[in-house]
Amino acid sequence: MTTPLAFDDNRPSGGQDYSYSPPPQTGGGGRMPLVVMVVGALFGALFSAISTSDFISHLDRQVHSIHCSFIPGAAAEIGESGCRTVMMSPYSSMFRDSLWGGLPIALLAVAVFAYLVMHAGRLLLAGKPLTKHDSLYLMAAAALPALMTIIYAYIAIAEIGAVCKLCVGVYVSSGAVLVGAVLAHLNAAPAPSSQLPMGQFARQFGEGVLYVAVLAIFYALFAPASPKSTQGCGTLVKKDDGSGIFIPMGSGKGTSAVAVVDPLCPACKGFDERMRASGFYRKLALQSVLFPLDSACNWMVKDSLHPGACAVSEAMLCDKDGAEAILDYAFANQENLRALAKKDRDSGQQNDPKLRAHLEDKFPKVKGCLGSAKIKNQVNKSLKWAVSNALPVLTPQLFIGDKRVCDEDTDLGLEYTIARMLEGGGSSPGKRR
Amino acid sequence: MQDIKGLTLFVACLVVPLGFVVMAERSAASRMNEASDAASDVPIASAAEDAYCTIGLKQVVRRVAGACGLLESGARGCKPADAKSVASLTGDDFNALFKPLQNRAHIIQYDKDNVILDDGGMKEVEESWAEKRGASFYFVVARASTDGDAAYNTDLSQQRAQAVYNHLQSKFTGDEDLKKVGLLWLGEEYAQLGQDFCTWSRSRDGVECTDKEINRSAFVAWIDCAI
Repeated sequence: MTTPLAFDDNRPSGGQDYSYSPPPQTGGGGRMPLVVMVVGALFGALFSAISTSDFISHLDRQVHSIHCSFIPGAAAEIGESGCRTVMMSPYSSMFRDSLWGGLPIALLAVAVFAYLVMHAGRLLLAGKPLTKHDSLYLMAAAALPALMTIIYAYIAIAEIGAVCKLCVGVYVSSGAVLVGAVLAHLNAAPAPSSQLPMGQFARQFGEGVLYVAVLAIFYALFAPASPKSTQGCGTLVKKDDGSGIFIPMGSGKGTSAVAVVDPLCPACKGFDERMRASGFYRKLALQSVLFPLDSACNWMVKDSLHPGACAVSEAMLCDKDGAEAILDYAFANQENLRALAKKDRDSGQQNDPKLRAHLEDKFPKVKGCLGSAKIKNQVNKSLKWAVSNALPVLTPQLFIGDKRVCDEDTDLGLEYTIARMLEGGGSSPGKRR
Repeated sequence: MQDIKGLTLFVACLVVPLGFVVMAERSAASRMNEASDAASDVPIASAAEDAYCTIGLKQVVRRVAGACGLLESGARGCKPADAKSVASLTGDDFNALFKPLQNRAHIIQYDKDNVILDDGGMKEVEESWAEKRGASFYFVVARASTDGDAAYNTDLSQQRAQAVYNHLQSKFTGDEDLKKVGLLWLGEEYAQLGQDFCTWSRSRDGVECTDKEINRSAFVAWIDCAI
């Protein structure tokens, strides 16, 4: 550790040399950029800490409201929001295979901003005018959150398709820190020598690394672990597909896996996105079983949670080769398809004629099959498969081999859980729900 | 002095977020342990058990299922049974058991002295089969009108019930649920349908429906009772 700046008082003393020559002063303008940096970094740390807190609260494997506001400390929300979408995306953390939920990027941001508060604050406390060498390092340090802002803003817009207000707070804070650093550099006194103080830079960089490492290591050490993630929550009693209801998904080879999904369920859409992003989509021989939570065909639900899901399920079973494309379309247009079915039902038409016509128009191969007794029978077989296995009435559900991934492990802990289950072979002989 | 200030700031900026992270994680761990002891309230997928599943209806279904070998793992095939002994009820009481199935049942009509399913009959059978939902048994109750002698009509109604089953077998070959089909034939002697059943879903909907015509039929329905 270093405290590189101390008061270098050049004023004359002891009546020896009166020819006092002050150093190039940055004056108030020299302090203000550092104040801007400290305040910006404090806000960055605050926004990141709120985001980290939301992430950590989910380590208990339960559903929580999360904060999503430009105002730090504003009330948390339980519903869908850009912040939830971003947090549940695979980009919100790293090392997800090794740690349940992974190491949150927001935590790393907390470490970086805390370091920037410390570093800029220490320069302020020192009271010594900045040199170009000091400010050069400040700019380099401030460039890191600025660079991450550009990368993550791009990911949010281009990959995730959702913007998180807390993240925007971090982006703005990063910008303020960078502006402060640039202003500090512009106002800094000339460097005492033309040679860069690499040793000093290395020490300061080492301090930053230490901040990040300590927070990351302690985070990993104290992260809650549950044996359920590896043991699973029950097993399949009836694994076979005697009725031809399994739908192959992807071209992955490896351990067999079954996903129980509803094509119009938003959670299934998110689950599918996480599966694809995780890379496990290619490592598993994944098959889907349809479990539409729509009372039109499913007697286990009193009200249609996802109206139209029965018709979409029929379409998928009509054209099993094109089922993945139909599922992708359904996931991408869930709201519209549900609205179409609801419109039918509100007008007293229980068989979703508009939705069926739309599906036939979009996927001509299902014409003549959709709505037939034979295909309705197949949807019923899918539901009966769930009955045979005494599955909970919810979607999505995932089985690795015959082991059921616990519901709480299908979002943030998905990669960790699958990785652990694959290590264990995915089967648990003799273990029954 | 500056060294101490700098050191204090260095430690404070590290310890504050560190303490926050560790405390938040310990709190999450504590909540996780508490939650793992709590029972889940998510319902489990199960066969349907509708409100109309009275003890009387279940008794009839169970006896027919037993007579058809559906409850054992042995070879399937309904044994000729005395309908009255199967039901142990008056005809009216027997029919009353099925009244709540108005939206579930279909009536397949036949020509006089005939056991062949016409196109409308086949379509009606297929539609009823597709309305399986969570039901555990498919019930076929065939009858005959009072024309002709009783023995002939018993035989005729048996063949009508069998015709429904044969059509299901040809249309849904290999369907495991065919093992859930129970056949009951009543001939002309027991539980004749009244004209009030003419308003139910019939294969000859819109065609004149007399007492005799409604009984030249097979009553088919999935039964939403866990037997």
